[in-house]
Amino acid sequence: MKWYDRITMIDRRVIYLLLTVFVIIPFFIKVTIPQKIMPQTRRLFDFIESIPPNDKVVMISFDYSPQTQPECHPMAKALLKHCFARGIPIVGLSFEPEAPGLAVDALVSVVQEIDSLATNREDSLVYGIDYVYLGWKSGRIAAQLDMGEAISGVFPRDYFGNLIDSLPLMQATKNYKNVAIVIILASADYPIDWIRYPQTRYGIKVGAGLTAVMAPQYYPFVQTGQVSGLMSGMKGAAEYEKLVLDHGYARTLGSAETGMNSQSMIHILIIVFIILGNVGYFFSRRQKGTHK
Amino acid sequence: MKRKLPLAICFFMGISMMIQFFIPHPTSLNFGSMIYKWIIVLMAFALVLAIGNLIRHHGFKIQKGKEDWPYSIVTLTSMVAMAIIGLAWGIDPDSLYQSIYLNIMAPLGGTMFALLAYYMASAAYRAFRARSLEATLLLISAFVVMIGFMPFGQYIHPRFPAFAEWIMKVPNMASQRGILLGVAFGSIATALKIILGIERSWLGGKE
Repeated sequence: MKWYDRITMIDRRVIYLLLTVFVIIPFFIKVTIPQKIMPQTRRLFDFIESIPPNDKVVMISFDYSPQTQPECHPMAKALLKHCFARGIPIVGLSFEPEAPGLAVDALVSVVQEIDSLATNREDSLVYGIDYVYLGWKSGRIAAQLDMGEAISGVFPRDYFGNLIDSLPLMQATKNYKNVAIVIILASADYPIDWIRYPQTRYGIKVGAGLTAVMAPQYYPFVQTGQVSGLMSGMKGAAEYEKLVLDHGYARTLGSAETGMNSQSMIHILIIVFIILGNVGYFFSRRQKGTHK
Repeated sequence: MKRKLPLAICFFMGISMMIQFFIPHPTSLNFGSMIYKWIIVLMAFALVLAIGNLIRHHGFKIQKGKEDWPYSIVTLTSMVAMAIIGLAWGIDPDSLYQSIYLNIMAPLGGTMFALLAYYMASAAYRAFRARSLEATLLLISAFVVMIGFMPFGQYIHPRFPAFAEWIMKVPNMASQRGILLGVAFGSIATALKIILGIERSWLGGKE
């Protein structure tokens, strides 16, 4: 067998083994490669920066499942850290049935981290005053439209069973007039409904944090300004983490930085394999051509 | 009557929901709000149907001893157990329900999705060949985007990230916009056909 035939027939077990090794390496060898911030990530960050503290809330729609947790969870945590550090209240909700567990986890872990550093009561975060999680609701388009009239009409109780009219934050947040932006963290085509319906009707600002597979679909909306900012995949999450760290809103980077290194290593490996496959293909085709 | 009544309801609801979208009068807003609540309730009923269907499907498989029937027991047991745990002990952040979700469901979901990386790497190596001009263009653009979006892409060549961004913002956006417009026009046409009673396949039957 010729060398070019051999490189087109690498056993898939070798590929799997190399892939595993390449994924694991960055977890043991910490390398911080400077991130070039994409304009759409910076736009989202700048939008949050422009919201005055303790004025309007940021609504986060947690619409990702465990399958895409490595991409979307760091986005959620970085975004929560940014908002809390700037004194912006958060109202969370979900239209993806698998998401509430992850939403609660993101909120609790960020709140615990901030509270552990708090020196007095005012620095700590209180449920119902600084943040609320409304939970999951079926019929998302109808729910999104109806929240424009009254959020309590769609979510009479929060995820934990409290009447939302009894929560101080929700007493001040009646509908989209009290929401600065809704940011959808999703692994599926959820943001399009927010753009088509509540934004068209109520003019609510929409931001998004999407998996790398989904993000290209939303570039037209970023260009037209219908999406005020976009975090694209793990890269977007790592960029947002860096922005939050650089502005002093966090003390360390999150998990997207390590994830990004693993992802880059895999991309290099895939590129090398594709090149090998094509070199082999090119030479074997040339060889066949010569024999003819 | 069996066909005319649903068509009349469809026409009335379609037109009234369209009108209330453009006329923000309190009457139309209240009407819209009421309908949205109906939709939410209807969608919740769909969930009940789904659960019923799941129980029926897997119950049948277990009863008949069909292929992989033990997995059906796992599915039904998990569903019932999670429902009981959630209802009995709550869904607070430190509850058993949340603990099971984070320690079993989340890693399992992540593992399933992570397996895709292995198949994708193997498939890319075997299938991604520059066999034609189109395949070569696809290959080159994929390389540029992959390298451009990697943090060290800028060190390979300082213009890599900008070029990757250009691919996403110009050729990608142009095609995405075309698809979006096509889908939008198609949706409007289909919606109008249903509201006006031209498209009647949703009624069932032969007509």
